[in-house]
Amino acid sequence: MLGRGMLKGLWVTLQHTISSFTSGPRRFPKRYLDGPVPRPEPSTQGMLTLQYPFEKYEMWPRFRGVLVHLRDPETGQSRCTACMACVRACPHGVLTVTGEGKGRERRAKTYTYELGRCIFCRLCVESCRFDAIEMGQEYEFVSTTQDQTLNLEEMLALGDRSGIKHTGEAWGQVE
Amino acid sequence: MGFLDALPLTVMDWLRGLLGQGLPAWGVELVVGLIKVVLILVVAILPVIVLTWLERKVLARGQDRFGPNLAGPYGLVVAFADAIKILTKEDIIPQAADRQVFRFAPALVLIPTLLVFTVVPMGRGMIAADLNVGILFAVAIGSLAVIAIIAATWSSGNKYSLLSMFRSVAQLVSYELPMAFSVLTVVLVSGGLSTVRIVEAQVIPFALVMPIAAVTYFLASLAEANRSPFDLLLGESEIVAGHNLEYSGMRFAMFYIGEYAHIFVIGALTTTLFLGGYQGPILPGYMWFLIKTMAVVYVVLWIRCTWPRMRIDQLLDFSWKLLVPLNLANLMLVALVFKLAGTGLLGSLLSLVVNVGLLVAVGTFLVRRARSSTSRRTRALVLGEV
Amino acid sequence: MAFISEPRSLDTETVTINLGPHHPSTHGIFRLLATLDGETVVDVQPKMGYLHRGIEKIMEQRTYIQSIPLVDRLDYVCPLTNEHAFCHAVEKLAGLQVPERAEYIRVIMAELTRIMSHMLAVGFLWNELGATFTPMIYAYRQREFIFDIFEMATGARMFTNYMRPGGVAVDLPEGWMDLAVKVTDNLERFFDEFETLTAENEIFLARTIDIGVLPADLAINCSLSGPVLRASGVPYDVRVAEPYSVYDRFQWEVPTRPHGDTYDRYLQYLAEMRQSLSIVRQAMAALPDGPVMDEKARRLRPPKGEAYARIESPKGDLGFFIVSEGGAEPYRCRVRSTAQINLTALRQMVIGHTLQDLVVIFGSLNCTVADIDR
Repeated sequence: MLGRGMLKGLWVTLQHTISSFTSGPRRFPKRYLDGPVPRPEPSTQGMLTLQYPFEKYEMWPRFRGVLVHLRDPETGQSRCTACMACVRACPHGVLTVTGEGKGRERRAKTYTYELGRCIFCRLCVESCRFDAIEMGQEYEFVSTTQDQTLNLEEMLALGDRSGIKHTGEAWGQVE
Repeated sequence: MGFLDALPLTVMDWLRGLLGQGLPAWGVELVVGLIKVVLILVVAILPVIVLTWLERKVLARGQDRFGPNLAGPYGLVVAFADAIKILTKEDIIPQAADRQVFRFAPALVLIPTLLVFTVVPMGRGMIAADLNVGILFAVAIGSLAVIAIIAATWSSGNKYSLLSMFRSVAQLVSYELPMAFSVLTVVLVSGGLSTVRIVEAQVIPFALVMPIAAVTYFLASLAEANRSPFDLLLGESEIVAGHNLEYSGMRFAMFYIGEYAHIFVIGALTTTLFLGGYQGPILPGYMWFLIKTMAVVYVVLWIRCTWPRMRIDQLLDFSWKLLVPLNLANLMLVALVFKLAGTGLLGSLLSLVVNVGLLVAVGTFLVRRARSSTSRRTRALVLGEV
Repeated sequence: MAFISEPRSLDTETVTINLGPHHPSTHGIFRLLATLDGETVVDVQPKMGYLHRGIEKIMEQRTYIQSIPLVDRLDYVCPLTNEHAFCHAVEKLAGLQVPERAEYIRVIMAELTRIMSHMLAVGFLWNELGATFTPMIYAYRQREFIFDIFEMATGARMFTNYMRPGGVAVDLPEGWMDLAVKVTDNLERFFDEFETLTAENEIFLARTIDIGVLPADLAINCSLSGPVLRASGVPYDVRVAEPYSVYDRFQWEVPTRPHGDTYDRYLQYLAEMRQSLSIVRQAMAALPDGPVMDEKARRLRPPKGEAYARIESPKGDLGFFIVSEGGAEPYRCRVRSTAQINLTALRQMVIGHTLQDLVVIFGSLNCTVADIDR
């Protein structure tokens, strides 16, 4: 109405400009380098920008990061039995598994995970009946080729780092 | 004039005296003139460096972002990083381009903008050339930019650029008129075309004496500089940066510098004409000039942060149907007021009253016409009905 | 000498320009072949297919559950409603019963997705009008909070892979409700602020009122759906016309606008966001306890047959047609993509407007190019 609406718009952007200096968890140019940053409370104004390579959010427990293997505390090995359920469940054929042994003794010999093609859908974990794999919290795995792979040992190490004990801990699926 | 206020002049005089010992009079003037040219270039280019940074920061803060903050403290070095990037890029000339014109146009864009600085008084006595037709010079040189843009767009041999040219010519030509009218009002009151004289005449800043002319001048110069909401020439979402679409590397940088120098020109000229130029208490004159200019520049950026772009026909309507008649009426009324009441305090007060009265009258007229209008757009714009 | 007395017109010709495949206003790889007379659009031809990924064909080689991550990527602005539509079709095919709690969770997620999609629609509309990103970034800011609660529940921000035929993958985590309440309360404030910023801006009014008018009969003839249709005054919403899930249990209205121009579509988006928020709040208040998955759905092998199911996605009527031969994979899957069909009215809407309006009208239709090409 005769320019009032335009002035109202200017008022809103001015409010945002001012509040970007006065409110919000990260209004100061200082970077929080020590440890992950908590998520901001929902708000309409104020500075929230996460300065990513320097600061990182705490991921939610359910965050679907890189697939990891969980270590059986008794044997110190992966619980994977090479049953191929995850291989069948994967929509993109990211996993390649070979096993050795028969019956209850069957264990995974190799477990190859093609990181560059994974879409992090967690269908493999949902299909796992042996508490062997879970999606970890790591997400900084840049590969320059499509076929960068992780093997069983690396995935076990990642599992140790993630601190996950059982599949589906965060998902409320552990009986 | 305090010590600080006169400091640049003192330095200049000392330099003159120093040179006068070894050089003939014309030699002194030559060297001093050259120094002034260099100073003008610095004054014109330095703000570009600051403004590229400032624009990003202002936009970012308005959008709850940081803006550049990694290149140097507070991202201040970002302009230099940009410059290095842009200078090392390949200079591409399209096959369909008119090569000579294509090469020449970017320089033509920059020159008028730089020339305007010669007549801007940046402090008490700090002016490169106090022409007696100073403001006429500024307006005339400013409108040269349209030729540069025609040259750039036509020679690019690109359809988007062609569309951009149609728009820019229509836009720049139609906004010359309201701009000239508003400048004319100022000239009328101050009684001279010299920029120094205009500044000295502003005991009360002209923005308070004749707000209509001030706002019109500001909007028209936004259109001249192709700034939002009149940035049809660039139109990123439709014609993909229009006139500089085919340019790359150093030639693109010329457009870039020209654009930002133009923002500073808007600020400088608006300050000179309407905000009392270098006049102000306590602080030295050049500081006041800088503060006022930067305030205007901030408004330019703030507007860019908030408003969408106008459409070309509405843009022309706005100029021809609203700004031109309004300023014509304003010019006559203000002339009458100052003839009757003199240019003193009484005249200024009356002029303000007349300005407000004119705005109210136009508003009432628009509302009345909109009430009887059946056009949904008119009703929404004027009455706020949707 | 007849030719002298005749008024001579200037010699003009039309210009054909390519808007795209890479153009800032198409948000994806999409090409509009526009014929212009000066600035006026004489003709426009959408050329699609640059973003064709063959999702329908790939789905024939994937099990039903493996298709869900793919369906997410159909219209990546509103992944959860895509999942909802797909799962709905599979449930119809396999005769699954979705538990009550799962239905409520689905409604909450779908409506949050709708708010998210509409926010972006309005934000990008402003971008195409030439605003320097500000409304879009405000919308993005709120979308991040919605993404937060999506990530908390499903483990991913965008490609959630959350709904399954027969329910949802997992129950909501502890503390989710508290965060969701905060987010929805904040959304309310955001809508008010956004309206202050945009709704009354004179340049915006002048640019959008009476621009790209879509008459109701044209909209119906072109089989348009969603907010675009309702902004033309047709109160048709699949959630009401063919109630699915638990939408019949909530108190809400189907907002409509009478004129069908770009401004009405903008107001329609705003009004629908508020309605969706009201549904989310009601669903959160009434969320029942219980299982979230039909036990029969664990080994999914639908019987031979075919099923078509549709839902109201943020863009409109989104349908999945699935033919099963009794195996673990569908024999054929076909998507009734909203964006593609909403695009059919574009030509009639833009002819006679300027190039600047063409971009704005295309933006107000809110077509995701990925959804057009699939």
